[in-house]
Amino acid sequence: MLAPVSVALKFGFLIVLYLFLVWVAWSALRDLRRGRGGVVRADAAARYDATGMYDAASSPVDSDGDEFEPRLLVARAPGHETGSAYEIPSQGATLGRGDVEIRLDDPFASAHHARISREGHVVVIEDLGSTNGTYLNEEPLSGPQPLHPGDRIRIGDCEFSYEQ
Amino acid sequence: MTARNRELLGLLPASLLVTAGFAGVFIQRSNALSNVSLTYGALFLGLCIAAHVFIRITLPRADPYMFPLIAVLASFGLVMIYRIDPTLARQQAQWFVLGLILFAGTILLFRDYRRLERYRYTIVLVSIGLLVLPRLPGIGYAANGAYLGVRIPGVFVFQPAEVSKIGLVIFLASYLRDTRQVLVQGGRRILGVTLPPLKQFGPVVVIWGLAMGILVVLSDTGSSIMFYGGLLAMLYVATNRLSFVVIGLLAAAIGFWYLGTHIPHIHARVETWLHPLNPHLYHAPLGSYQVANAMFAQAAGGLFGQGFGRAALTLPGGGTLLPAPQTDMIYAVVTDELGLFGAAAVLITYLLFVARGFKTALLARDSFSTLLAVGLSAMFALQVFVIVGGVTRVIPLTGVTLPFISYGGSSIVANLVLVALLLLVSDRARRPE
Repeated sequence: MLAPVSVALKFGFLIVLYLFLVWVAWSALRDLRRGRGGVVRADAAARYDATGMYDAASSPVDSDGDEFEPRLLVARAPGHETGSAYEIPSQGATLGRGDVEIRLDDPFASAHHARISREGHVVVIEDLGSTNGTYLNEEPLSGPQPLHPGDRIRIGDCEFSYEQ
Repeated sequence: MTARNRELLGLLPASLLVTAGFAGVFIQRSNALSNVSLTYGALFLGLCIAAHVFIRITLPRADPYMFPLIAVLASFGLVMIYRIDPTLARQQAQWFVLGLILFAGTILLFRDYRRLERYRYTIVLVSIGLLVLPRLPGIGYAANGAYLGVRIPGVFVFQPAEVSKIGLVIFLASYLRDTRQVLVQGGRRILGVTLPPLKQFGPVVVIWGLAMGILVVLSDTGSSIMFYGGLLAMLYVATNRLSFVVIGLLAAAIGFWYLGTHIPHIHARVETWLHPLNPHLYHAPLGSYQVANAMFAQAAGGLFGQGFGRAALTLPGGGTLLPAPQTDMIYAVVTDELGLFGAAAVLITYLLFVARGFKTALLARDSFSTLLAVGLSAMFALQVFVIVGGVTRVIPLTGVTLPFISYGGSSIVANLVLVALLLLVSDRARRPE
């Protein structure tokens, strides 16, 4: 006698379930559509570069090698593999303890400690008003300084060498 | 509508599902409508709302769809387990509550989840140590010929692979973050294929060995596929080199082929997978009885299923028709009672959850977060693949759990911690600069 109720419950269950799934899928799709339009897309592209993920993806193993690729080699830094390299993307990179491209796990580093920026083939390092200073070849930075291959950059106990 | 209100709205279907499901089971069992099902629905809604309020306070920008999707899966699980055994359903509900407490604990403790990177070697050593525990005499035990669990009699039963998968993802995310550039740039090109440098590739080879070791020592095909697949997914995202994935798959294929043909107990599992209806294997101990009967159970479901509580799980004489229905075979029970449409809905729910995970990875700003989100989502997806693939006979069956649906304390607790980590990554990724 309750069989119709049972059947109704089963189909009700399935209908609620599918409506819910359509709702979630629809909002995911709306996200995608919005992503195709200009603003968000450009934003996403910029973020890609900032993570360095994009750079690793299109990194120049397969290029002929004479391209300009400035990078920081890790000499010693806690949390980083010695000898690994960070590429400096064309819009520059920030070093520091905060949410930045090259994160330093060092008590002497400020959240936004120093910035490396590129203009064409000139790469410039600048201290961002950090508490403990940035050292270029063991001399404290006072203003923006151009970097040359072999330069050593030290922040607290982290040391990098610059290559290009 | 703000993200958090959307999350709140998404919890309603989950509690409706609990109510409808329990009502369906009650009718089938005692042929009476009772308002107890409404109580269960309300209780479940209350729990979810408590978790929602917690997320609203601590992670206001986290992905709004993840938690409702999980709630739907959990409601599915509670209904199906209740239908199989009411006592287990009560225990499952208790595990769900404990899981939510740990979920909250993870969020509070690791607000800055990048702190996990500091303990990466400790985490990976503990994870591997846990994996070996089931093989130790005294506390380990085997289910269906695979060494999956740790049992301290009278205290608890625990499946270490569930916890280890999270630990391994954290380690790999941190390790690959540091070495991915070297992996790409230090590689040599041979015949147009980038080969990774051996030194940095070492730990990756160790994980390959681990996957093979799990297979030989623990006979656990499922965890083996899960860990190795997760590793390849993360490696691909970290380096964007398809060649690494192809090499990895070839290495795994060779390993699996060799073990499947040369190690007797693994060969036996392959045989039951390939020929489940062979009468000889069907009646053998640890034979294909379970797999074969799961196939019949799924076929009985048809398009819309037989309805709640109507699947045949036991023989009229008292024997079991479908062994382990509440854990390994729960997907077969779902298909039997809700049909192709119900089973497809379960898979779509998983798919959408994993899609939200990958979306989080795309939004994340630093590499560690991206790799963590990718790894956790991939492991979750592979776990579903391993068990659903096992039940539907795409791959040999291993007893990993169907996340949030299967009965099992460690599974539900570990997976809630996994979701907590994904929500943490998501909240940070969606925070405006």
